[in-house]
Amino acid sequence: MAVERRGGSIVAHLTGEVDMTNATHVRDELLASMPNDALALVLELGGCRYLDSAAVAMLFDIVQRLQRRRQELRLVVPAGSPLGRLIELTEVDSAAAVHDTLEAALHQ
Amino acid sequence: MLRGRTHIRGDDLRARARQQEALAGLGQRALAGMNLDHLLDEAAETAAQVLGTDFVTVLELTADGRGLLVRAGYGLPEGLIGDVIPAVPDELPIHALESDGPLVIDDFATETRFRPSPMQRRLEIVSAMAAPIGARGRHFGVIGAHSGTPRAFSPDDAHFLQALANVMGAAAERARHDELVRDSESRFRELANTTPALMWMTDAEGEVTFVNQGWLRFTGRRLEEELGDSFGLSAHPDDRAELLADWRRTFSRREEFRREYRLARHDGTYRWVLEVGTPRFAKGEFIGYVGTATDIHERRAMEEALRESEASFRELADTAPVMMWTTDENGNVTFVNAGWLRFTGTTLDEELGDTWSLGVHPDDVDQMVPTWRRAVAGRGPWEAEYRLRDRWGEYRWIVDRGVPRFEGGRFVGHVGTAIDIHQRKTMEAQLEESYEREHRIAETLQRSLLPVRLPSVEGLTLAARYRPSALGAAVGGDWYDALERPDGRVALVVGDVVGHGLRAAATMGQLRNAVRAYGLVEASPAEVMVRINRLVANSPEEAMATVLYLVLDRETGEVSFTSAGHPPPLVLGADGPRFLEGGRSVPVGAADPTAFREGTAVLAPGSTVVLYTDGLVERRGVPLEHRLGDLARAADAAEQDLERLCDGILDGLLSDEDPEDDVALLAVRPQPIDTERIAMSLPAEPESLAGLRRRLGRFLHAAGASEAEVFEITLSVCEAAGNAVEHAYGPIDASFRVEVSCEDGEVVATVRDSGAWRERRGEHRGRGLRIIDGLMEDVEVSSDDHGTVVAMRRRLAQAGT
Repeated sequence: MAVERRGGSIVAHLTGEVDMTNATHVRDELLASMPNDALALVLELGGCRYLDSAAVAMLFDIVQRLQRRRQELRLVVPAGSPLGRLIELTEVDSAAAVHDTLEAALHQ
Repeated sequence: MLRGRTHIRGDDLRARARQQEALAGLGQRALAGMNLDHLLDEAAETAAQVLGTDFVTVLELTADGRGLLVRAGYGLPEGLIGDVIPAVPDELPIHALESDGPLVIDDFATETRFRPSPMQRRLEIVSAMAAPIGARGRHFGVIGAHSGTPRAFSPDDAHFLQALANVMGAAAERARHDELVRDSESRFRELANTTPALMWMTDAEGEVTFVNQGWLRFTGRRLEEELGDSFGLSAHPDDRAELLADWRRTFSRREEFRREYRLARHDGTYRWVLEVGTPRFAKGEFIGYVGTATDIHERRAMEEALRESEASFRELADTAPVMMWTTDENGNVTFVNAGWLRFTGTTLDEELGDTWSLGVHPDDVDQMVPTWRRAVAGRGPWEAEYRLRDRWGEYRWIVDRGVPRFEGGRFVGHVGTAIDIHQRKTMEAQLEESYEREHRIAETLQRSLLPVRLPSVEGLTLAARYRPSALGAAVGGDWYDALERPDGRVALVVGDVVGHGLRAAATMGQLRNAVRAYGLVEASPAEVMVRINRLVANSPEEAMATVLYLVLDRETGEVSFTSAGHPPPLVLGADGPRFLEGGRSVPVGAADPTAFREGTAVLAPGSTVVLYTDGLVERRGVPLEHRLGDLARAADAAEQDLERLCDGILDGLLSDEDPEDDVALLAVRPQPIDTERIAMSLPAEPESLAGLRRRLGRFLHAAGASEAEVFEITLSVCEAAGNAVEHAYGPIDASFRVEVSCEDGEVVATVRDSGAWRERRGEHRGRGLRIIDGLMEDVEVSSDDHGTVVAMRRRLAQAGT
């Protein structure tokens, strides 16, 4: 997993597909990449081709787990991404801030 | 980069690799003849560790079939092992015994097919799996894996448990068999010390591959001196030339060999021996000779003595440790010696006269007596092998031999000697059995390591065959496999680990997994082979394998491949059959890191690729080009249907004979893309979803959907499919059906399964349906006894303009 540190945030670039077969694994990798001193996990979904309901459940789960550590999840979903309606419909945006660009997410 | 799919497949692979490794280890110990109780203990522990369950039980059906003995287990409370529990028809163990495959119980609370056993109730089992041990009709018992917490066992888990049970079954059968032969073996050993039999075996080339202790004691030579091209080495110089000439002649005709000559003993003297060699065949294939040499020095001395005087003969004969007799000119017995009477337990009076059928096994009388009558009439020598009843009433094989006697040119009868050859006969039978046993265990293991079924790869028709060799213990290390790469291309592989038996089968399991793992990570076939080569070179076990690895792009028909010492793949296209040249490299494990070459080709639409292992085309004495030609012709003449194509190829090339070597065959054909509709049944496994997405993507793109529409419709169909997968957990081989069509810009999709939708737990559970509702225009969910159908439709934006 390509993870980079940008100031107080950890940026993870998620590519490929996340579904019921690998959602738990992706969650574990993401959480493992979060050091205690980081403030936010920025999940960049621009290269992500597919998310399903299991992936969405995983995002909610990450939000909860991060909250306990006083950390937060931010999502980057570029304008025009096919994922847009899914994010809206499942109200992921009510639990995690959603931004158009990585820069916007980092400077929130 | 987070490669989600790759990672999860990596996990699956690791789990499967662990399962296969555990299986291979157990199989190896089974083959090494590990004590059955130890083996069952180990199997129970292995199952518990690999599956991660709390308890494992190994129950053995009692001889009367009315109880189950807790023969071994893992995690069980003290004192349970050794108990016999009643075999109750509607409880899980008996159901498992009567089924052909593994049974999975998600939750006993909702299970209606059968009840938990009292033991399961006592242990408060929630989820369980059970698999029958031993073949149907010869059941040994049942192995169960039990969990105190809810547990969804995957098809892989179930397959693993069954494979484990298969190995245990083969071991149990072997143990049962060993018990039967143990008695005769100890008697056999006793006899070996009292009878002067020397034994040897050769392979099909006539090289000596085995001599027994008796032989070594006699000649005083070391085993390594006796093996190889050593036939006749210790014969008397005056006898050697004739002995060898006779041996070569008989050997080339595969006839029984029989000769008397002088053999050098350890003390430097020469003793007369009778050497008898019998050709051995396994399923019609000649595999060498097994023979004995019997010290007949006394008999020769007797014959000499007889030539001098009858009286001195009788005197000598009675002290000789062999069985002897004489007859008159009419074939009536006039004398048998003390050795004969000791054997038969009869008296001399009983034996005199026309007593030729006395004590002879009823099945042998009709064959033996007439040959004797002919020998008497023709005044010629006589020899026969038959079973004679001994003093304890047991029939033993003897070889009986008579030579005519003449006095002053007048025929006066025969003089004969008989030798107990029961040992040789039993030895032959036991050799046969031990080969059979190893063969059975190795074959069971190999079948367990091969894919249960080929993966269903979207856009591709696949068919495969595996034929084990007919030769005794010669189970090989052949395998085939197919996997879908993350880039959407498909990797196909056939391989053949050099060597036979269990070791080759175990190495095959490791290589198969390694190819799967590297195949996912490396795009280039040559690079996959470089990695495999490195793996094999660094492994402590010396192994070598030929592998054909080919990557196919279903959309463009482009293939790239590497052939590591393997025969070339065959392509069947509209313009006839052709072999794909190029990509030729050395076998893996053959040399230091070599540059593996890569060949490429483009398949015309509708072409079929056929991959196969050497066993199909290699035939002793026939040039490879001829066999490849035969293969091309057989494939060309076969029917289009892939399954029939495989059968046609096997029938055409192997004809009636069983293959000398193992044969693996894999045929693959990309399907034309149907832009009208999708109708497919998929196994109800999470792994099916990726293929379904790809198929939907291609279909929807072709129908003119936008990127967002492709994603949203794909997601909706897959959410419905995901539900089907979740419901289907439990019974193996459940499936669901997807139908999608597009007419006048409207996409209509239905997903059917055969389960009832469970009540949802937690807020996330209902999200799938909410997504479908939000993304599709018209959604209907209906459920009945047969299952659940989700029907949905959506008009594409472009269609309106």
